[in-house]
Amino acid sequence: MPFVSHIRRQTDYGLFPPATPIVIDNGASNFRIGWAGENDPRVVFRNIVQRPRHKSTGETVTVVGDHDPALMKYFDCTRSGPRSAFDSNVVYQFEIMEYILDFGFDRLGANGSEIDHPVLITECVCNPVYSRSKMAELLFETYGVPSVGMPPAFGVDAAFSYKYNQQLGVCAKDGLAISPGFTTTHVVPFVDGEPVYKGSCRTNIGGYHVTDYFKQLLSLKYPHHMTRFSWEKVEDLKMEHCYIAPDYALEAQLFQKGTKEAEEKTRCWQLPWVPPVVEEGPSEEELARRAAIKERQGQRLREMAEAKRSSRINELENELRGLAFLLKQLEQVGQEDAPSFLAETGYASKQEIESAHAKATQSLRKAKGEPKAEQVDSDEKIDPSADEKFSLLNVPDHMLSSEQLKEKRRLNFLKTTTEGRQRAKQKRMEEELERERKNREDEERRLANPVLYLEQLHVKYKELCEKVEQRKRFKTNGGNTNGNNLSGGVGRGERLNAAQRERMRLLTTAAFDRGKGEDTFGARDEDWQLYKLMSKDNDDDDDEPDPEEAELTRISSRLQEIDPTFIPKVELGTSQQIVEVPKFRPLTKEDFQVILGVERFRCPEILFNPNLVGIDQAGLDEMAGVSIRRLSCDSKDVEDRLTQSILITGGSCLFPGISERLEARIRMIRPCGSPIRVLRASDPVLDAWHGASMYASTLQFPSQTFTRMDYYEKGEDWLRRYQVRYSL
Amino acid sequence: MGAKTNARKERRMEPEVLEAELVLPTYFSFKKVQVYEKYPKGQSSAKRFKHLKQIIQAENFQNYPPDEPNYVNIESPPSMHPSKRICDITGYEAPYHDPRTKLRYANAGVFKVIRSLPNEYVQRYLALRNAAVVLR
Repeated sequence: MPFVSHIRRQTDYGLFPPATPIVIDNGASNFRIGWAGENDPRVVFRNIVQRPRHKSTGETVTVVGDHDPALMKYFDCTRSGPRSAFDSNVVYQFEIMEYILDFGFDRLGANGSEIDHPVLITECVCNPVYSRSKMAELLFETYGVPSVGMPPAFGVDAAFSYKYNQQLGVCAKDGLAISPGFTTTHVVPFVDGEPVYKGSCRTNIGGYHVTDYFKQLLSLKYPHHMTRFSWEKVEDLKMEHCYIAPDYALEAQLFQKGTKEAEEKTRCWQLPWVPPVVEEGPSEEELARRAAIKERQGQRLREMAEAKRSSRINELENELRGLAFLLKQLEQVGQEDAPSFLAETGYASKQEIESAHAKATQSLRKAKGEPKAEQVDSDEKIDPSADEKFSLLNVPDHMLSSEQLKEKRRLNFLKTTTEGRQRAKQKRMEEELERERKNREDEERRLANPVLYLEQLHVKYKELCEKVEQRKRFKTNGGNTNGNNLSGGVGRGERLNAAQRERMRLLTTAAFDRGKGEDTFGARDEDWQLYKLMSKDNDDDDDEPDPEEAELTRISSRLQEIDPTFIPKVELGTSQQIVEVPKFRPLTKEDFQVILGVERFRCPEILFNPNLVGIDQAGLDEMAGVSIRRLSCDSKDVEDRLTQSILITGGSCLFPGISERLEARIRMIRPCGSPIRVLRASDPVLDAWHGASMYASTLQFPSQTFTRMDYYEKGEDWLRRYQVRYSL
Repeated sequence: MGAKTNARKERRMEPEVLEAELVLPTYFSFKKVQVYEKYPKGQSSAKRFKHLKQIIQAENFQNYPPDEPNYVNIESPPSMHPSKRICDITGYEAPYHDPRTKLRYANAGVFKVIRSLPNEYVQRYLALRNAAVVLR
């Protein structure tokens, strides 16, 4: 609803004689107040109250009705939402009611010492006595609505509307009033101009529910734009675009099939959207400059690396030369002087020098960057020498001295390790050959039939994805929740997988095994082994899916290479939504469009079918039948008269198509051939007030009011039975 | 005294707020009892009113003859018509329902979407139909 702009205070309050009644239509959506006998209510505003805090003064103020949102920024509205005095069309919060009445009277221009006009105020059908009496009290005590001669009266809004239309000739003396309101819908039969409440019927669904349903649907469908769907905006949309389909199932089928009619009926709401500024690709010179800088940096790095390498090579060569010289010297020196000579150089034996020499040669070769093949050769060269060394092994034990035994054991160990290394190398080479072969086969297959190959790859990828995901889910949740649960925590109700169970067991045994009273957990070193065990458990678990994950990554990289449209699946953790905003392309205009297709007629459908929102009551069409049944009139004649003038009034009856739908439905439940006429009130929203105003200005009105004396004397019981007589 | 404090407070507010007369004044000449007298600050408003359920209970409608219409009497009965099942997501006719999430869906495409929804959205869709699991 567009916000109600500032209502000027009426200035002619004093002009009205004290006999003129003030007419108030106290509805759940709007509060309308005015003078009896006039054509329109003077003051109309939304029946809500807000109590925000003013930002600069800090005091809590009261704001009644809808106001300009620009002005509301001066108030801190976080802790106060709009509050209504109603709870499903019954007034129960009288403090709020008082604020509203204050505002209403104030805007009407009241300025005397009390309101000394009679007041006619509307209420709901069969208003509970408590509410009625509190309202009467409020009017009497606080506003001083006169207690002698000109007191208040209560009436039902639907009845007033009907009477008004009857005067206008829209409907006949007997008829049915159907009024879908804001929070409830009523059906009241009229016989001889008087409402028969015995036959009335109420369903707790109204315009509020339709708007709420609409808002929820839109928020769920477009979660990104949820902030744009405020209550007022959605209500605007509802009033502008929603309609009632003559038959829901057929309409839905139209849309499902995507026919042209459905296209026409779909409305599209474009949210304001500014295309992001596409920054110009850096210009040519910019690119060239950047490339040059990069080149220079690379050059510098390479030079530095080169310099380092050459210096290291020099060092190594020096060392090598030194060692070679030493060896030569050693040979020259001879056996006797060897130890002393060696002691000078710092090497313990000839072998040591030789081994140092060999190592230095190797490092030199590596530094010079010779291919690995040479290394393999050197490895292999070592082997024959090792064989010689191992000859010691072949000599049986008892022939060796203890030293030689030790030597033999060491050589044994060496031999096994070298053999192991050889075997590993062999296996690696075989695997390499195998992989090469498979790759070649793959390539051939791909070249032969690219499309099929791609499909197979995709299928394999999907399967692997599924498996990996499933395993992850099992790990985190034991597979017990429905597949939609993405959180990985261990909750109270979820079973643990093996690793977690083990961990819990270890922790509990550690905590409780210690003996009563004292916790000596850390005293012994072995205790800390516990944690090693726990983490190892985890590791074991992690190792398992590795081959599958490796396979997955391999396939995904292959796919990325050969298939330009392939997008690897993002890790689980991002929530998937119905309207995905893919991260791989910039947001376009279409992302900011809200499409209203099926929602247009799905939301008002709940008036006819409250089951759609879970309210287990009859819909509009069925309520008419219920009402007629409750009347329990014997003659079919009366029923016919009733259905001949069915009046729909109330704010929620403004949906296009409601009359046709209602007529069709009521025809279905009435016997064949009975006359049915559905009429819409001349002004569904304001007719209640019009009716009340007209009623209040009749001469007999004062006889229908009750005074304060009456109220106190006769008590609540009388108030319960109090009913206005409508035909005067 | 009431008017003076009123004016003092208003002077501190922004001019356009005053101009629009947004704020409800605290004193009215036509009232016999002002709001601040009736509801002294400090009393919690929760005690001041009864909720509708309490009101209805206090009325003791069962004591009165069932013929007379009263607030509870005139409520509509549950619907006799066969209920229409529509898809929770799209609004089309939905002959199927998903046993895991209890949502209704119209075809396989919608089913795929349902299975990819996070739990929060599933609960919100169910809440639309008043079928969500409410844990209190």
